Amino acid sequence: MDRLLDVSQLEPPEPLERILDALADLVPGDQLSVIHRRVPFPLYDMLRRMGHRWETVGEEGRYHILIWPEGE
Amino acid sequence: MISTGGLALDQAPPFHIPARFFLTAPLFAVLAGLLLVWEGPSLLASRWMPPAVAATHLIAIGYLGQVMCGALLQMLPVMVGAPVPAVRWVGALAHPLLTLGALGLAWGLWRGGSVILGLGASVTGLGFLVFLIPVTLALTRARGEPGTRMALRAAAVALLVTVVLGLVLTGSLLGWVRLAEFTPWVDAHAAWGLLGWVGLLILGVAVQVIPLFYVTPPYPLLVRSWLAPTLLAGIFLGSLAVIHGWHLTARLALGASAVGFVLFAVLTLGLLAKRDRRRQDPTLLHWWTAMIAMIGATLSSALAAPPTLTGILLLAGLGLGLPAGMLFKILPFLAWFHLQHRQITTGRFDLRLPHMGTLLPLAWARAQFGLHGLALLLLMGAVFIPALARPAGLVLVLSALVLQGLLLGVILAYRRAALAFLVPAD
Repeated sequence: MDRLLDVSQLEPPEPLERILDALADLVPGDQLSVIHRRVPFPLYDMLRRMGHRWETVGEEGRYHILIWPEGE
Repeated sequence: MISTGGLALDQAPPFHIPARFFLTAPLFAVLAGLLLVWEGPSLLASRWMPPAVAATHLIAIGYLGQVMCGALLQMLPVMVGAPVPAVRWVGALAHPLLTLGALGLAWGLWRGGSVILGLGASVTGLGFLVFLIPVTLALTRARGEPGTRMALRAAAVALLVTVVLGLVLTGSLLGWVRLAEFTPWVDAHAAWGLLGWVGLLILGVAVQVIPLFYVTPPYPLLVRSWLAPTLLAGIFLGSLAVIHGWHLTARLALGASAVGFVLFAVLTLGLLAKRDRRRQDPTLLHWWTAMIAMIGATLSSALAAPPTLTGILLLAGLGLGLPAGMLFKILPFLAWFHLQHRQITTGRFDLRLPHMGTLLPLAWARAQFGLHGLALLLLMGAVFIPALARPAGLVLVLSALVLQGLLLGVILAYRRAALAFLVPAD
């Protein structure tokens, strides 16, 4: 099951904080779906090192990022 | 830009470098307040009173100078992708030089004494030089938002001119330099310092920080590209005219620059009103107050109110308030950012880091804003009712002490969280 998190209205660094919290609470097998107003490059850096994979679609102002643990 | 990959994390200076500048600044605001308590109403009687000149420099160099230097060393790599060369040395040298220089200069201006005045001015000048050379180098390599780059370069030029004019004035006081008239040179020094260095730096930082941190629409392109260079030209022409006694040109050029800053303040208030998220936050209260003080200072000057009122609005309203508001945001952000960096480099993703919002207690930040606002009102009142001068000084001291306590609290919270990395993972 996907968990949906909308951080598009939050002030930095709250989007990153909320996403990391949600990932820590993610049940195995689930994916995290994030709505963001910009491409979160610092997050990608962290996801890569944490062993997560992600996919981003969308355009300026509204991006949709799907995150899941590597190997699932 | 903060949004560019790992750049920000890898190129930022160590936390202790900006932190030492930030933790020193409020102590100078305490000194300025104590000076007012000690001297009483006479300090506000005229801008030429020795304690008034001393208090001005305690705030301008000791408080504003420290915060701005610390913030620039930290923010240049993040905002315009330009790390300051040898930043550890720059921090280690500029900080004590500016601290001792400001103390010496303020003492010399207050109590007289050519040795301490000359030493204080030279050490301050040296401190700014140690800061300006590497920062200028970094700014030549700056990338990113052209408006921010331009405003930061203009602010650096303004700081250099302010320091040179300050040294010329000190030379004149000590009898080493002969000036035909003293007052116009003081006015030019103040214009470059307040409108140029402080004003343009605030402009450059705001263009980047307001849309990013407060999630507002961007400043209009015309303002981003043209306001800073136009203002710099206005200040240049205005100060040249002041020194040469071209009164009409001076009034027009400096008046137009002031109107430019009013335009910027009104725009900033407008952008903040367009935020998507309507959460009250002490940093915003400081931004609002500072922008209103900026508009108020221009009105006060245009309406020929006592010059000390304009000075209070600029130095206390804008100069003491805005950096406090920005520190409420910058210091917790840096603490959080360095903890995050540590988490990435150590791979300790088992640790939950404190959220940035929990590093600084909001209730105390609001109390600090309240004390600052009260101090500002009392100071303005004291221009007309002298009995208010000492209470104003006392409240100023209190607000600076609360600011210091808040900043120390962030550092302690950072240390506590950083200690968790020393405990091995399960």
